[in-house]
Amino acid sequence: MRFFHNTKIRFMEYRWHWIIASTVLNLVAIGLIFFGPGLKLGVDFAGGTQLTLKFKSEPDLKRVRKALEALGLGDVTIQRFDEASAHQILVHMQNPKGQEGDYTSRMIAALEKEFGGAQAIEINLEGSDALRDTLAQADPDKAGGTVDERRAHYKAMADAILGLRKQVGVVTGPDQLAGLAALSPATRAYLAQNAHFGDFAVLAADNVGPVVGKDLRQKAIYAVSFSLLGMLIYIWFRFKLQYGIGAIVANFHDTLITLGALVVTQRPIDLPTIAALLTLVGYSTNDTVVIFDRIRERLKLERGKPLITVMDEAINATLSRTIITSGLTWAVVLALFIFGGDVINTFAFVLVIGIVVGTYSSIYIASPIALGMSNWIEKRKSAARRRR
Amino acid sequence: MQRKLTWRWALIAAVTAAAVFFMLPLDKRIHLGLDLKGGIHLVLQVNTGDAVRAEVDDAMERVRGDLTAKGFAPTTLQRLPDGNGFLLKPAANTSAQELNKVIDDRLPEFNVNRGVEITATLKADVARNIRDMAVRQGLETIRNRIDQFGVSEPVIQRQGLEGNRIVVQLPGVDDPGRVKDLISSTAFLEIKPVVSVAPTQEALLAASGGKAPEDSEVLSGDIEDIEGRVSGKEYYLVKRASVISGRDLRNARRSQDSYGQPAVSFTLNPEGAKKFDAYTAAHIGDRMAIVLDNKVRSAPSIRGRISDSGIIEGNFTVQGAEDLALVLRAGALPASITYLEERTVGPSLGRDSINRGITAGIVGLVLVAVFMLVYYKGAGINANVALVLNAVLLLGAIGALGATLTLPGIAGVILTIGMAVDSNVLVFERIREELELGKTVRNAISLGFSRAFGTIIDTHVTTIVSALFLFQFGTGPIKGFAVTLTVGLLISMFTSVFVSRTIFETELSRRAQAKTLSI
Repeated sequence: MRFFHNTKIRFMEYRWHWIIASTVLNLVAIGLIFFGPGLKLGVDFAGGTQLTLKFKSEPDLKRVRKALEALGLGDVTIQRFDEASAHQILVHMQNPKGQEGDYTSRMIAALEKEFGGAQAIEINLEGSDALRDTLAQADPDKAGGTVDERRAHYKAMADAILGLRKQVGVVTGPDQLAGLAALSPATRAYLAQNAHFGDFAVLAADNVGPVVGKDLRQKAIYAVSFSLLGMLIYIWFRFKLQYGIGAIVANFHDTLITLGALVVTQRPIDLPTIAALLTLVGYSTNDTVVIFDRIRERLKLERGKPLITVMDEAINATLSRTIITSGLTWAVVLALFIFGGDVINTFAFVLVIGIVVGTYSSIYIASPIALGMSNWIEKRKSAARRRR
Repeated sequence: MQRKLTWRWALIAAVTAAAVFFMLPLDKRIHLGLDLKGGIHLVLQVNTGDAVRAEVDDAMERVRGDLTAKGFAPTTLQRLPDGNGFLLKPAANTSAQELNKVIDDRLPEFNVNRGVEITATLKADVARNIRDMAVRQGLETIRNRIDQFGVSEPVIQRQGLEGNRIVVQLPGVDDPGRVKDLISSTAFLEIKPVVSVAPTQEALLAASGGKAPEDSEVLSGDIEDIEGRVSGKEYYLVKRASVISGRDLRNARRSQDSYGQPAVSFTLNPEGAKKFDAYTAAHIGDRMAIVLDNKVRSAPSIRGRISDSGIIEGNFTVQGAEDLALVLRAGALPASITYLEERTVGPSLGRDSINRGITAGIVGLVLVAVFMLVYYKGAGINANVALVLNAVLLLGAIGALGATLTLPGIAGVILTIGMAVDSNVLVFERIREELELGKTVRNAISLGFSRAFGTIIDTHVTTIVSALFLFQFGTGPIKGFAVTLTVGLLISMFTSVFVSRTIFETELSRRAQAKTLSI
């Protein structure tokens, strides 16, 4: 079986059409980023406190907002997370200007006041030690003995309840406890009577203060800039400067378009998103280097042929490889995008867009730039020769 | 030829065996990051200014004490706004000679500017040292507390060599609020003589003219009813100088008060016991305040001479008493702490993301494997063996390096696997090209590999170069990405060039005059 075998597509002939199309797309992306809705920075870079909450049923977002705004601390944004049936939301709150500190506890306390019950035992928020101690205090099994003996008696039960919570995220009611073999009947009855199965559980909490936020931003910028520079120098050293520039411009092109797509979908930019963008840059460069390598090889074999023809031949020769590799990796990230769950969804999204753009840019951005610059350098050289 | 092949296979077997050794058992060897496993990650700042301020306050008190003893109570003695020193206005009757002597005796660590007014600022290297010590002590204290709390595989370290930040990572903790309190409570215990007690601050200070005397301070404490509920506040005028402090403790543990309520009892070290014994013997009938982090926990009357133990009562839960005993045992923090960053991932979120990510990853890889078999037939097996080996070696390397696998790390793995597939595709396409040009099978394979070799090296090295920079400059997640990427690419070069080729050669050596190749 062979796809794209012995193709003779004259890629470079249409380069201007594609370069114009790319430029327009890039300008649109720049417009979106700087003059449109702008990049949505996630908690890593914007700072603030973010809670991932899972509710028992459809959460009342107005009540969530009201409870948090009553704290009078900072702007609150609420966003759905994962499919609707999971009843999960992301709540983000800015820290009061320039303030460091632990705002997570205050937010959780405010939500607990709004959605919690009057009872002391909050099944969905308590840690296992606290749960064990509450049971040891109440002692529904009449185990007796010292505090420590009673604690030992109830430890397994508390752990079983936490285990259940880890599985389901949020315990909806006493009937879910019925399935736990570790619980004694008396304890089960006691919990059904006295515990409150609060409306929500905290799945994750992130708090990034201004100092760390600034640090993360700065380091991310350094890391990305230097790694691009490293690539440029390596390609310059192995090929020629114009090829290095072509590859880097292609990287910017891919990143810009993907960032544009992130703006359109209003997905937040966090550290994992940066890792995804770097992965895309890696793929794009890989693709570009494969084509450049073939160009270099052909140039050695067929001296005197115009560069534009050599480039077309090189791109055609590597076309089946380009399509197969990109197609396969694209299939993998598509699988991640569809089945991978919400945590890696943005990551997969970046690659789903990025691999398409990155493959295209190796052919229509990196190569034409190397071609244009080479021709220009050639012209200047021959002009200089003529003058002499 | 045959012998060379044997060596090649031996090397592959050895590397694979090493990888398997380092990756098994998976759950022990492959450390998952907090984003996958659940747990809490904290970055906290030790407010070293507190420690410097405490040092300055101490020096001020020493100077005040000396001058007062000589009958020259200074008119003003106040801390400078930046906390690094203090200002002294000597009383009119002060003898310059005596003053200089006090300064020379008491302030060797200060730069002193002597004039009508005297400003003393802490020497820069002394201040730096105090700050550094505060961070180191803070680190030690937090480590003690967490060790006693009992968390498996905690990471507690200073961020950078000079900084005042501490990173704490606690996998699998299910009560982040409690841990945060445990870490950040200063736990500074003092026992101070009580001068007077009143329900309001005004009433308390009425006797001394609305202002606390120089040697005393006002502290507050909660009033509790018989069931331990807080029903109001009470104000205490106490002496500044404490009888004993947390430094004099030898041990602390949870116990019960006379009503059977949770309380914390403590024992003193010999030096503390001596001080406490002397004080209590001389002050029977007086009240003393047990002060924790500047709040009066209780203020019992001294009923008799106490030498080496005491009890802290107050509104405690069992857990509260236990936590207080723990922090007292572990020692006080030298300075307060501010949380700069917190990441808590509940285990359910982590588990869910692992499961779904793995499912999706497997679906993707199966897709790739099937395609390779269909498209490259016999050679597809070759590629798939190299791919599986790639995954095994990568896990082995992660296990051997003790690296932590995080979500961005998995991104690195995906890129690696993508490039490993690409390397195989590059080689196979080249071999097909050479076969088409009419080369023999042996030549085609040899040329295919050698032609693709340069490309594979270029693509891999380009990415490794950028990954090294990411490692150098990146933070947490980006670093994790860079590590798996670099290691993965090195392995990918090995499997796609060395392993894949060895399989081809073996195939050839079996059919010496091969006319066809399944590719």
